Amino acid sequence: MHPLRKRRLILIIIMIIGVATATGFALVAFNQNLMFYFSPSDVQAGKAPVNRLFRMGGIVVDGSVKRSDTSTEVWFDITDNEKAVTVKYDGILPDLFREGQGIISKGKLNNKGEFVAEEVLAKHDENYMPPEVAASMKKKLPEDIKE
Amino acid sequence: MIMRFIYQLGSPPYFYALSGRLLPWLSGICLILFATGLYGGLVLAPADYQQGDSFRIIYIHVPAAWMSMFVYMVMAFSGAMALIWRIKIAEIILINSAHIGAVFTFLALVTGSIWGKPMWGTWWVWDARLTSELLLLFLYLGVLALYSAIDDKRKAARAVAILALVGVVNIPIIHYSVEWWSTLHQGPTITKFDKPSIDTRMLIPLLLMAVAHKFLYAIVVLLRARNDLLWRERRSQWVATLFKDGS
Amino acid sequence: MLQAFFIILQRDLILAIRHRAELMNPVLFFVLVVVLFPLGIGAEATILERIAPAIIWIAALLSALLSLDRIFRTDMEDGSLEQMLISAQPMSLLILAKIIAHWLITGLPVVIVGPLLALFLGLSIEGIETLFITLLLGTPILSAIGSVGVALTVGLRRGGVILSLLVLPLYVPVLIFASQAVDAAASGFPPVAAIAMLSALLLLSLSLTPWAASAALKMSVS
Repeated sequence: MHPLRKRRLILIIIMIIGVATATGFALVAFNQNLMFYFSPSDVQAGKAPVNRLFRMGGIVVDGSVKRSDTSTEVWFDITDNEKAVTVKYDGILPDLFREGQGIISKGKLNNKGEFVAEEVLAKHDENYMPPEVAASMKKKLPEDIKE
Repeated sequence: MIMRFIYQLGSPPYFYALSGRLLPWLSGICLILFATGLYGGLVLAPADYQQGDSFRIIYIHVPAAWMSMFVYMVMAFSGAMALIWRIKIAEIILINSAHIGAVFTFLALVTGSIWGKPMWGTWWVWDARLTSELLLLFLYLGVLALYSAIDDKRKAARAVAILALVGVVNIPIIHYSVEWWSTLHQGPTITKFDKPSIDTRMLIPLLLMAVAHKFLYAIVVLLRARNDLLWRERRSQWVATLFKDGS
Repeated sequence: MLQAFFIILQRDLILAIRHRAELMNPVLFFVLVVVLFPLGIGAEATILERIAPAIIWIAALLSALLSLDRIFRTDMEDGSLEQMLISAQPMSLLILAKIIAHWLITGLPVVIVGPLLALFLGLSIEGIETLFITLLLGTPILSAIGSVGVALTVGLRRGGVILSLLVLPLYVPVLIFASQAVDAAASGFPPVAAIAMLSALLLLSLSLTPWAASAALKMSVS
């Protein structure tokens, strides 16, 4: 082979090896659980660390919201339709916060098994539908929870 | 066959004549699409169950956001053509797309924050999509700044082509990193419970608007490219004959 | 081929050591930026500890940006860049040598000084260890991506501002993954994923940017 061609071939092979190894590393990263995110079931199963910041997401249980009379403290339960965890939050809740709404909260688990939230976010879901469809879906939802 | 077409397209007089014949058709289709899309989106589509009528901004916001990505892809593609075959038309399309892409990105950002005000209660959240859209705007501005900084425009076009290709490799990485960053900071969207879905009566106008935006882009880029082409080729024979016949 | 690589590497290092004052500038700038943060924010330990990874990494980005120009600028001015371009050696390999030289001159001091400064900002030991690893993996990426930006702007008289506009958005992933890794380690989670991503970015940028930079240089010099 022409030396110039050979040299170019070597360089290209080195480059391909580099890109391939990079892809390998990226795949390793994708396979990691990088969320520091736990569901209420994980928390009840004792998988989540105590006194460390992590996130927990779920649906606010109907009728579980209790507000303090003297301060802005709020207690509510969130569930992933299997287990529920009590969340304590001191602050102003977002507008979209309501019972039955999916939320994400960031905070720490205290020794009593309560999740002390520093931040509560109501994520708008990615559904766009007319009110009647939403109403029919709501009717179906309680059955799901019973299961 | 395809190569011949590309080479033909690369010839400025041919491109000028062809685009001149295409433009009325494109404009007509674009107008119809906008009319039906807007009517379908603003009148026929029902209001959203949670957001009411304010969701209708989706018909500008989402197509603009799609266009901001699409235009960058066009830029990278014509950048590759400009580098490999040295086609002048590709260079012109590349640089004139950058302006339009930047405008679409800006539009997506502005409508996004207008939408965010009633939905999230603030003009801006460091949401993954908003943030990566903002970074995309910076990429566009970088392209424009680089182009205007180099005096020799053919050289500038090649520099911009390289930059667009580097950018296109980076966009997925930037996008992924921002997504990752925001899931860490904000928590994942709860797709576990609700799969993303949209009612058909809302979807069809959205698709119409998306295609309408694509046509709009095609029209604007052709108009700009024709102007640019005439200016660059102002000393050439075909432009001279064109204007003798025309006026 | 390899010989040419080492000759360029050696040459750039010798040139840098001869200009000792310039050698210190990027790392001095880095230290200064980091010191400015407590002065601006206040010496509250909890806040500083929380944002220490971000401070150090943003300072590292800025100091890399400040020194990027020297990868090609002086060579462009004295004509040696043109010599390299017309030589029979593959330009991408020579550029790789220049990237590595640039990192050894400006990146490595930051890798060494960064963890020390993190100590002053009150970062935990686990955080500092991870910070060191991220700096080691991340700063070469800054030099590599930067080389493309410099190659594109080296022919311009006022390329500096444009250079930062071109390069900073491309630095975003490095900033995100690196500070995330340190954040994770500091709050007691294993930072494996972010570090794997940084390694991927490092390999990717080292294998691809020399080609892009060489194409850009051919454009700039011609």
